[in-house]
Order: sequence, then C-alpha cells, then structure tokens
Amino acid sequence: MGDEGVGVRVAQYLFSQKLPEGVTCLDGGTGGFHLLEHLQEADTVFLIDAINDGQHPGTITVLTPRYSKDYPATLTAHDIGLKDLIDSLYLLGKVPNIRLFAVSIKLQSEPVMELSAEMDKAVPRIADQILKETLQRI
Amino acid sequence: MARIVVDPITRIEGHLRIEAVVENGVITDAFSSGTMVRGIEKILLGRDPRDAWAFTERVCGVCTTVHALASVRTVEDALGISVPKNAELIRNLMFCAQYVQDHVVHFYHLHALDWVDIVQVLSADPKETSKIARSISRWPKSSPKYFADVQKRIKTFVDSGQLGIFANGYWGHPAYKLPPEVNLLAVAHYLEALEWQKEVVKIHAILGGKNPHPNYLVGGVPLSINTEEVNALNTERLNHINKLIGDAIVFVEQVYLPDLLAVAGFYKDWASIGGGLSNYLAYGDLPTASYNQPESFKLPRGAILDRNLSEVHEVNGRDQNEIREYITHSWYEYEGGNNKSLHPWEGETKFNFTGPNPPFEHLNVEEKYSWLKTPRWKDHAMEVGPLARMLVAYASGRTEVQDVVNDALGRLNVPVAALFSTLGRTAARGLETQLVAHWMKEFYDDLIANIKSGNTSTFNDSKWDPDTWPETAEGVGMTEAPRGALAHWIRIKDKKIENYQLVVPSTWNASPRDAKNQRSAYEQSLIGTPVNNEDQPLEIIRTIHSFDPCIACAVHLYDPDGKHIHQVQFNQRGL
Repeated sequence: MGDEGVGVRVAQYLFSQKLPEGVTCLDGGTGGFHLLEHLQEADTVFLIDAINDGQHPGTITVLTPRYSKDYPATLTAHDIGLKDLIDSLYLLGKVPNIRLFAVSIKLQSEPVMELSAEMDKAVPRIADQILKETLQRI
Repeated sequence: MARIVVDPITRIEGHLRIEAVVENGVITDAFSSGTMVRGIEKILLGRDPRDAWAFTERVCGVCTTVHALASVRTVEDALGISVPKNAELIRNLMFCAQYVQDHVVHFYHLHALDWVDIVQVLSADPKETSKIARSISRWPKSSPKYFADVQKRIKTFVDSGQLGIFANGYWGHPAYKLPPEVNLLAVAHYLEALEWQKEVVKIHAILGGKNPHPNYLVGGVPLSINTEEVNALNTERLNHINKLIGDAIVFVEQVYLPDLLAVAGFYKDWASIGGGLSNYLAYGDLPTASYNQPESFKLPRGAILDRNLSEVHEVNGRDQNEIREYITHSWYEYEGGNNKSLHPWEGETKFNFTGPNPPFEHLNVEEKYSWLKTPRWKDHAMEVGPLARMLVAYASGRTEVQDVVNDALGRLNVPVAALFSTLGRTAARGLETQLVAHWMKEFYDDLIANIKSGNTSTFNDSKWDPDTWPETAEGVGMTEAPRGALAHWIRIKDKKIENYQLVVPSTWNASPRDAKNQRSAYEQSLIGTPVNNEDQPLEIIRTIHSFDPCIACAVHLYDPDGKHIHQVQFNQRGL
C-alpha cells in the first residue's frame, strides 16, 4: 500500500463530500467479479488508482482505454482483476464509458498502510480535480 | 531438453510464474514462483487485534471474506471468546455463498477454457447442442434458437479480436477433445454463469452490510436480527436469502454439475495426470455446533498421508511441531538461518530479495526463487483445496460426501484412484459445490428455527473491552478458503498485535522447495505431464488451474502501455 493506496484514500475523501446528483462513489478494494454489477449499472465509470510511470508524484493522467488489452500489463495484484471484468462487460453486452485517473506515485520499498506526508496533503486537491473532470464528462 | 516459462499462469493477469523442464515431450522438473510480495504482516504490527480482519480481508480479490473469518477466529481463539449460535450460522451462510460463487466462477471463467475450445464453437450445430443439453439436464435455456444466438454473439467477439479471454488461448491445440457442440454448450453457460454469479453474492451484501468486503466482528457478526425492523435482518431479507439459495442449488445441479460430468467424460486421460503429492491437508469448516468443536464440522479437519484413505491424522494448529514454514528458497531471511523452519507464532517477515530484475530469462532455482514461504505439516509437503477436503471427508467416513463422490466416479466409470489427478481435483470442486449449496439451505433453516425460538443474539461482548484481556495471548484461526486450508496466527501483547502471520492456501500449493528439497504441490503435480507443443503449454495450464491459483497480494500498480489509450495530463507538478 503506502502511496499505492492513493485511490482508496481519494475515495474515502469523496465519501465525505457532497457528490453531484447521479454520481456515487465506491471503494472497490480488491473486489474482483463482485464488482461486475456495480460496473454494469453505471453509464460512466471513473477509476482512480496509482501509477508508477516516472512522472512527478501527484501527477494525474486521464486514460480512456477501450479493451482489456489496452490496460497496462501489471494492472492489478489480484488474479481476477479489472481486465477480466472489462472483458466480461463486453460479453454481457453492456459496457460503461471508462476513464482511468492514474495518479503518479513514487514506489516505496516497505509495506505501510499510510500515505506519505506529501501524498496525504495532496488528496483533497486530487479529489477536487477528479470531481471537476467528472462533472465535465457526465 | 527445453525450459518452458509460463508467466503469468492465470488467464489474463496474475503473479505466478512456472518454469518447467521438458525432455522428450514430458515434464521432468518444475519450479513455481510467486512474483509479488505480500507485506500485510508488517502492516498489522502494533494495531488493535479487533481491526485485523478489515486489513486481511483485502489481501485477495477472490478469497475476501474467508480472510476476515480467519482473522476474527484468531482473535477469538487468543482471547477465549465463543460466538453465539446465530453468529456461527450467519458466518456459515456467508462461507457457503462465497464457495458456490467462487467455485462456479473458477469452473467457467478461470478453468473451462483450458478444456473448451472457444473457436470450435463457431462450427457447432446449435440443434445438436440443444439435443445434448436436453439429454443431460432439465435447465430450461436449451432451445436450438438460444444456442444459435449465443453462437452469433461469440462470432462477433472472435472476429473483433479485442477480448483478452479469446486472444490469450491456445485455440486449435490438439489436446482439445470436445465436439464443437459441447464447446458451444459450455460457452453458453460461461455467459449465463457470469450473470448468475452476481446474484448469489448478494447474500454477502445482506449479511455483511456491503459487498465487496463485507463486515465482520470479533465476538459475533455486526448484524442485528429483528423480523419486523427495516434496518435489521428482517423477514424480507431472510426471504431474499432463501430465494438466492434455492436459485443457487438449481444452477449448480442443472448447469454446473451436468457440464462438469459431460466435459470430464471426454478427458478421462486426465484422471491419471497431474496427481502430484500424495499427502492432503484440510483444516475443515462449517461448524454445526461451534467452531471450538471441529468434530461438528461439515467439512472435517485432518490429514491424509500416502493416499491412504483408511487413516485420517489429527491436525492441531497450536502444536508448534506441526505447521511450520521454511524460507530456504523464498526471498526472506530468518534470524536462525536459511534452513530453519518456524511455527507461525514465531514467524518472521524480513524481506531478502536476491532474484533477477525483469526482463530475465530464468530464475536461479538453486537459490531463492519465490515470494512465497514454504509451509509443511510435520515436515510433509501437503496439497490443500477441494480435493483435499473431499478426501479427508471421504476418509473420515462422511456418508454425504462418500455418496456424491461414489456417484460421480460411477457415472464416469473410473476408480477411486482417479481422484488423485488433475481431473479429480476439478471434479472434487464441483461435487463440493453441490454439497455446500445444500448445506447452505440447512444452515438457513437452522437460523430460521433459532430466530423462531426467540434467540436473536448475534454478538458476545464479554471480552470486547481490552481491559478484560490478559497481558499476552496467542491464537490461531483456521478456515478453508475455496482454494484450500487458510489460517492466521496472532500474538497479542499489551492489547496490540505483536506478531501476525497468514499461511494461505496458495502458499501450501504454489510454494518453492523446502530445506530438504521436497517439492510443493504445483511443482510435483507437473512431473510426468506430457507437453505436446512447447510453444503452447496447455497441459501445464490445465494442471495448475485445477488448483485454482490465486497469489494473494496487496500491491497495486499501473505501468503505462497499450494501444487504444487516450491520454490527457494535468497537474504536472502535483505536490
């Protein structure tokens, strides 16, 4: 975890905010196939997760991948992950628009639960930017 | 002699790597490596033991609730807490729902395409598929038109070439033996199972407050029972659960099992491939009295050695001579040295990565080569999982289990020894699902009877307050994840976690060699397996998938690449 948990922290922050009508926030955790119905029910899904892409920590990149193979090779640590879900959505015939907000982080070597002090400070701003972006796109 | 590498071994993504040595078309040696580190043990140090379940629940995306269960039991064991009957029943219901969902998903979505050639679906005659479907099951979706429609859908996906599940297979491999019509039947049910699995897990949302990651509680369940109250477990919600259980039984009996037996009939050669180890371990679960009375478990606890089904050995998680972990070939170090083993109460989690950085060709298997430790029971390498559970139950004289196992063996016309194989492992999972679906209904009926008798207690608060705890305590919480024996060990000191260790099923099965160079289950199961085409090692995948691999982990990352990605960047100086 550490800064890799930035997606969860941003979700937790969003829980405490008043979200626009029609927008819900879910901490999907490591839900695998358990998330299928949540994804199917949405018109647009905004995913928030960490990325190790060498950019300055806190940089947000908005990606709009279409198929599972467009997603990065090491997408998730879990053996039923988002890629399987994306394929499943196509098979079942209802695919939401998906936008991936990738937040750049610096890798830490030791596993910890807490965000680094800098990342922790940046959470509200990241959440606000994502919310602003979300409003423009729905 | 060739060295084949399969990485990742799971269908689309994952963190398990297999290296197999092939001589004259047969595997002569194999190495299994977990390629990602799990650091949850370190994260838990110093925390409140009552919170541990919420952290461990997220270790894995598919075993989620069972880690929470193992965790609360560990703390209850350490502090001497017994939970009310209703809590035991509600935990059992969640356990059963998890099994039925997970086993069905494993069969159709993670394993079926090792046996079912999806491209062959296109040449099937839907009328013939309909005839076959109606000859093996009463399941109503079986008309020629239905199968023709499915075929059309699949054609669109195959033509587009965009879906990972279709792109990543070894289609056309000579080891695929099903007629096109049976392939079509299986693929139609692949799609149906995908829709169906969303329903049964609603039991988790009802009983656990939310899904994914339902809530647990040390001392009981975080749920009040009141048949009249809107926000409690009320009559409406109970009825909903009852309906979901009924639907689950029908799906398992009319779709999963008939498909399993139909497909297995074409692959009987796999009843003598992939057996691997001859020792089996089950911690057991589903108490009908209480967790502290293992003899009351529907799935009994015990160990079998040398495939001797006339003797079941007792298993004790607290006995420090029984379950111990080696790190001889794992990227960790122990204070006492490389060849030592430790009981989990004494367990150490000190990383020592000495492996190559990617890209690399082969792991150095003479040294350390995996992020998984190597657990042993009385120094024996053990297989865990549905096959181990069914064998321990069978050998323990459980007639319910013996009946379904003997019936399936009879229908396939194979001897008991056929169980010790890749096919046996896959069949055991299906038979277990049938049993568990019916047990879920029994537990539901017990819960209703209990509530009707006026017993609505769900929480024992006698030891909730840390002031009631001793200065030090140690506990073990054992359960069975769908993919095998799972236990957590805890040491509590001054009301905080002093040590916490998880020994997960895939550690038993997928671990590297121990100090005596004994192979674990995955590695051993591959020895003797034929490989028709070294560039398409379908046979390796069949056997490894029969274990339902899942390398639990808590690390999460994106590396950017891919073709259809549209990128927009902002916040260039984010911090």
